[in-house]
Amino acid sequence: MACIDRASPSLKHLLLKLYRAEKSIEIDHHLYEFGSVEYHIQSKVSNPLVAYLSISIPPLCHGVLSNNLSPHTIEKVKGICPNLVEITEPTKEGYQLTLKLNLNQIPRTKDYIKVIEDISTVQSVILSSQLKEILWNVNSDDAAQGMYKPIKLVYNPREPFFVIKQELMDVGNSDKWTKAPPCTWSAIPPPELRGEAFEDLSTNGGFVSFDISSRHVEGNRLDKTVWNLLNFNAYVRYHVKSTKGFIQRRMRKRLEDLAEVLHQTNSEENEQTKEVKQHEGCRYTNKLVRSSKHTMKQRWCTLGRKIKRIHFRLKIPGFARFRQRWLRFPKFSSKKYTKLE
Amino acid sequence: MGSTLRLYLTCIRNTLDAAMCLQNFPCQEVERHNKPEVELKTSPELLLNPVLICRNEAEKCLIETSINSLRISLKVKQADELENILTKKFLRFLSMRAEAFQVLRRKPVQGYDISFLITNYHCEEMQKQKLIDFIVQFMEDIDKEISELKMSVNTRGRLVATEFLKQFI
Repeated sequence: MACIDRASPSLKHLLLKLYRAEKSIEIDHHLYEFGSVEYHIQSKVSNPLVAYLSISIPPLCHGVLSNNLSPHTIEKVKGICPNLVEITEPTKEGYQLTLKLNLNQIPRTKDYIKVIEDISTVQSVILSSQLKEILWNVNSDDAAQGMYKPIKLVYNPREPFFVIKQELMDVGNSDKWTKAPPCTWSAIPPPELRGEAFEDLSTNGGFVSFDISSRHVEGNRLDKTVWNLLNFNAYVRYHVKSTKGFIQRRMRKRLEDLAEVLHQTNSEENEQTKEVKQHEGCRYTNKLVRSSKHTMKQRWCTLGRKIKRIHFRLKIPGFARFRQRWLRFPKFSSKKYTKLE
Repeated sequence: MGSTLRLYLTCIRNTLDAAMCLQNFPCQEVERHNKPEVELKTSPELLLNPVLICRNEAEKCLIETSINSLRISLKVKQADELENILTKKFLRFLSMRAEAFQVLRRKPVQGYDISFLITNYHCEEMQKQKLIDFIVQFMEDIDKEISELKMSVNTRGRLVATEFLKQFI
């Protein structure tokens, strides 16, 4: 599902390229994701079996977490692929973590894709571990007295979001989704956020609140829940953009259909006008042809009669035979055939 | 509801049939100019009384006629905010591509969602009855398209939400 995959697609692509290369290649790439995460991946021709991956992630919550990664987070990162990933000390300048990847430890079977995918999830592992620490560090006294302060998390610098620790309650909107955390939407900030800075609360999309209960964060579900919530914003944006594209395509299709109807009407009228004109032309031509045939026939008849009259007025001996042979008008008939001897 | 729509469209069709009697009329104020008088409205003697046909409070049609041009403005029904957004988006999309329709106005008249401007030249090039049929058909198609867009947006939203919530199960 788009925007929910824990593995960074660009990092995964680079690592796969490095692994699948037939001869050793030199790589020195900087990757930027989500506006604040930076990766630097290096591999040299002189040492093709080793690659260095440096990561820079700003702390999830300023004030609660320091810039450097906590030991708990480092332990979590080491647990990704223990025989493959080593943490290098000191880290590269400008980065929180530098990992040494032993590429010859990647299995040669089909599992190599899964291993590379696990390495690419390093960012989500760091974020999950940081969020766990934040939740553990919430003052238990405050919780006992019912004073819940919102905690501001900055996943994307332009889009902070807030975590509000609430009492555990199971509210389900429908029977099918009782296991999913109930969520609510409001156009105005919820009451718990009323005291926050104005620039953090200004939005045109409203506020979505998720009620996370204990069953959503127990065991292996914690990482998944954390990752889903962190990427909720990107997920919604992606689908809003897709919907906008879909609507645009539909509108364009409808516009073409409507315009075609109008142009078809025009062209039908033009064709009708042309046909009428053509028919008129044909009729005129036919009329002309018919009239000329008729006239020709009439003239021939008149001439024939005249010649006959001439015959009757002057009687010339032997002229009758001459007339029959030479003065008869030939009849052109396509059907009859006169054989010449 | 279907019957009220039929009556509404029939009324518009009959009014257009009566109003679309346009002839060429050069501008009285500037020589060698020929302008649609319904847009300028400088000479009251060239204008007819505008006719407003209302189906309900949300849907109406304004037909303004002059000697050489006719303007039809439509207000499309918008039941909720989503329909409001979709209608605005769609009609703006069409208006920006008004040259494809020839008789469509680039900017709707104030208070309305979309406007047509028909001049005597259009009546000479196209048949009057076909033009009226096109406008009535356009009104029906717009309603249908907005409803379909709304349904598809809601369906997409439901699918997207379902896929997201599945991750928690």
